Amino acid sequence: MTSLDLLPPQRSAAITELRLAPAEATWLRAIGLCEGVRVTLLRGAPLGGPLHVRLSTGAELAVDRELARYVEVDAPTDEVPA
Amino acid sequence: MNAAACTVALIGRPNAGKSSLFNAVTGGHAKVGNFPGITVELLDAKVKLPSGEHLELVDLPGVYTVEGEADPHSDEGHARRFLELAQKATQPLVIAQVIDATQLELGLRLTLELRRRGVPVVLIATQHDALVQQGFELDARTLEEGLGVTVLATNARHAGLQQKVLELLGDAWRQRRTPPTGDLDVHALASKVLIPRIDAKEAFARVRRRTERLDAVLLHPVLGPAIFLGLMTALFAAVFFISEPFTALIDLTNQALGTRIEGWLGTGWLSSLLVDGVLGGAGTVLAFLPQIVTLTIVMELIDASGYLARGTFLVDRLLRFAGLGGRSFVPLLTAHACAIPAINSARIIRDPGQRLRTILVLPLMTCSARIPTYGLLITTFFADHSAWFKGALFVGLYFAGIVAGFIASLVLGRTVKSTAQQRPLVLEMPPYRMPQAPVVGRVAWRSAKRFVKDVGSVILIAAVVLWALLTVPGPGDTHSAPPGASPRVVAMHGSVAASVGRLLEPVTRPAGFDWRLNVGLIGSFGARELMVGTMGVIFGIEGGEDDTAPLGERLREAKTSTGAPAYGPATALALMAFFVLACQCMSTLAAVRRETRSWRWPLFVLGYTYVAAWVVSVIVFQVASAAGL
Repeated sequence: MTSLDLLPPQRSAAITELRLAPAEATWLRAIGLCEGVRVTLLRGAPLGGPLHVRLSTGAELAVDRELARYVEVDAPTDEVPA
Repeated sequence: MNAAACTVALIGRPNAGKSSLFNAVTGGHAKVGNFPGITVELLDAKVKLPSGEHLELVDLPGVYTVEGEADPHSDEGHARRFLELAQKATQPLVIAQVIDATQLELGLRLTLELRRRGVPVVLIATQHDALVQQGFELDARTLEEGLGVTVLATNARHAGLQQKVLELLGDAWRQRRTPPTGDLDVHALASKVLIPRIDAKEAFARVRRRTERLDAVLLHPVLGPAIFLGLMTALFAAVFFISEPFTALIDLTNQALGTRIEGWLGTGWLSSLLVDGVLGGAGTVLAFLPQIVTLTIVMELIDASGYLARGTFLVDRLLRFAGLGGRSFVPLLTAHACAIPAINSARIIRDPGQRLRTILVLPLMTCSARIPTYGLLITTFFADHSAWFKGALFVGLYFAGIVAGFIASLVLGRTVKSTAQQRPLVLEMPPYRMPQAPVVGRVAWRSAKRFVKDVGSVILIAAVVLWALLTVPGPGDTHSAPPGASPRVVAMHGSVAASVGRLLEPVTRPAGFDWRLNVGLIGSFGARELMVGTMGVIFGIEGGEDDTAPLGERLREAKTSTGAPAYGPATALALMAFFVLACQCMSTLAAVRRETRSWRWPLFVLGYTYVAAWVVSVIVFQVASAAGL
């Protein structure tokens, strides 16, 4: 169990929990970050900028690094091809 | 025109291809609609069905969700309010969701929410060609059965698209079938309806590799920001270099026309009105059309290619440092064409405090209305320098605007309190796409049309009014006229406009501005383009009858009442500094008023930008003069 911001680059894990206020969590789920979705960390922006992630649904997102601390994921593995 | 039989609300996630579809169906013939209870402008078009009835198609802002909490003044808030009001209206409502076929699962979550609204819903799946490239096909029939909603799988480039969409909407309106409202597993449904072709895996990997390769370079920790900075510099430099020959051509045409008119009409007041007022005023501004079109085209290319999201990703950290955020990037970039659409686009910022702060600094970005003044001053007062120097100065002015915006935001951060907690960035990074020439062409054409219309209406009228205020003899002091000046020049020195300009001289003299530049500053209070227009009128009159020299030359040779050169590079730098900072645009202030729903903020913008403009231009003039410029 770890959080999204600690995921090593090019590794993938499934979202297990959003530790956020309900309204904010709802919005994140609508964008595509919901429980069960696998996330692969592609890269981080320089100087502590956002993270570039790919979801198992095919979408790619930029996610604020601070916010990623509240996205819990399970044990990292290699990316599973879609 | 016939009343519409029904309202069709076009809705979808950002980047779903909604606007391309709206353009394709309406043929680009949309107007900005006014809807009671909705404070923002929505694009609205009446389209005719094959059966003869009309439908009203409304393009809603992109949304991820229509449930849960939303700030009423954000895009999501506006879209929801529209749906609520349209559901209560007497005119029936059909919701048409545009869904990106390559992001089916995400889009279907929104479909479930829309189904729960209890009104007819149809689904238009775009990007089907991109889906096929990825090695899949959409089984529209199975999707229809699964959702209880009619589905059309298509591409924005599809030849018979308009016809197909109209048939779909017509059927939906006639049948008025409300979909089931229950929940279902969108992941399972998406997997069921996306049929892999034989080469699916390889095709998918190929498409993904292309975006990955580009991202590896464009988002590289060192190369990425360097390329971003280079691109921005190239964009601003292109505006200067590409359009210079075209501008010179329009300028020459103006001069030739002027000589012709004077040949026909002699040198009476009518000739002066046409040559100095209309051609000198409005015609000079028109010469900057190529710059404005170039800028629009490049901005559209950045947007349509998918690079916009990459830019946001790269600058988010920097913008957050300045108290803004990644979502401020799109408005900030848009403001380099025009602040008004930029202020509107600030609705994509979900955090109210961040949105306000972004709106307050947007007028500092270098909009295209500043280009005429910058272009004229640089080519006039730095004529002896190399083209590279002039280009660099021009680009420097753009960056000066950005730096000013950052500083203003930092200062505002201490004075304008954020009303809510910061909402962190979450943004979709769409795959790279090849911009479509017809779409880019249409955007360029629209910007050209708008600029010509502005010049032909507001600027033309203002130029003629200024001409009148400068020609009609007033009670002013005519002693400032240079010795041996023509009667018309003497009259201008005594005119109402000159008197007002002279009244301001004690305030503006430390910045090197005389009454003539002051008249220009008053003229450009409402719209920046009028600075060059006013200069055209003043120096057109000063030039006299047989002087058809370009405006730049006349500015360089302008004299004070003692016969000394009136302006030099120091004046030009100070005036440009003034233009970097001052919010000389009534339309921008009106937009700030509309978006903040208060007079306080537009007045604040007006006040702070003018004070900063005066202080900085005085400093620039004094320092530059001391340095011997």
